[in-house]
Amino acid sequence: MGHHNPDSPSHLKHYFHDVNQQYETSKFAMWAFILTEVLTFAGLFVAYIVYRSWYPDMFVDAHKLLDVNKGLMNTIVLITSSLTMALAIWAIQKNNKKLSVVMLVATFIFALVFLGIKYLEYSHKFEVGQLPGEFYSYMGPDAVHLNNPHIFFSIYFIMTGLHGLHVAIGMGLIAWLIYSTQKGNLTPEYYTPMEMIGIFWHLVDLIWIYLFPLFYLIG
Amino acid sequence: MSEHHITPLRTYLIIAASLLFLSGVTVWVSYIDLGSFNIVLAMFVATVKASLVAFFFMHLLWDDKKNLTMFLMSLMFFGIFVTITMLDTEFRGDLGLNPETKDPINKRAAFYDTLPLTDTHGHPVDEHSDEHHEDKDHH
Repeated sequence: MGHHNPDSPSHLKHYFHDVNQQYETSKFAMWAFILTEVLTFAGLFVAYIVYRSWYPDMFVDAHKLLDVNKGLMNTIVLITSSLTMALAIWAIQKNNKKLSVVMLVATFIFALVFLGIKYLEYSHKFEVGQLPGEFYSYMGPDAVHLNNPHIFFSIYFIMTGLHGLHVAIGMGLIAWLIYSTQKGNLTPEYYTPMEMIGIFWHLVDLIWIYLFPLFYLIG
Repeated sequence: MSEHHITPLRTYLIIAASLLFLSGVTVWVSYIDLGSFNIVLAMFVATVKASLVAFFFMHLLWDDKKNLTMFLMSLMFFGIFVTITMLDTEFRGDLGLNPETKDPINKRAAFYDTLPLTDTHGHPVDEHSDEHHEDKDHH
């Protein structure tokens, strides 16, 4: 590959044979990143499993302090945002830039709604003192019999907090996608960033699919 | 790029509808007491949902299988992580019997035993409030 083929598309890096190899390489690297993401959360899931096996009754009773309706609402919001993200990719594949931008904006708004609901939940827990570790102070009639409830809330805040951070990062990435797509940088021939960020966004949904039953529905 | 698979719109809509339906199902069954089977069922439904997301939304079904392999490897490592950790934590009974290791941990873990009682809003309540009806404005 001593020279650059003038017919090759501008987004093709010189060290790739063709656009398809470039695309496949990017995607494989993204999945390597997803592997590290799964293992990051794996550590927290292991903490959850170990402490739940040590305090089975406390986990069942402490989860009643969470609001199932808000959890379910967030599940619906996140699944819908996954759909709009997938449709944004579908639209750009079909060369419908306008629809793609609309779908990305919808995804961004759903992410915002998710964090808004999360904020309501967190602020209530801060108010009543259902907090991690030594910040825990809630001793209401429904909690007075609990054995070490602060452990449940430590794990709850760290897992949903790290997940929430991923939602916030995803919003930043989606905002950039909206800009790039609107500007015309992403086309049916080259939409790799949208496919990659899509995979990231679906991972965020996938992790929530497990967090929701494990925290809000146990027992 | 023209050779990329374009998933039909219909597929996306069916998958999203199935995900929403299964979310409803998992909430509904959580209110039925099935004993320890509750968690098994909840995790089964979650795994079905996660598979739908991974295969259809994340396009793993149409991708080169190397991507699926990478994803399954992460789950395999998670399995090893859980298994080896629990071989320790579930069978360390002897460790718990040793007061020298146990006491400092327990002392720290049970600090809230001394916490004052609160009401459902997290405000402290006077344990003998029944005897002090007169000073309502005391706070």
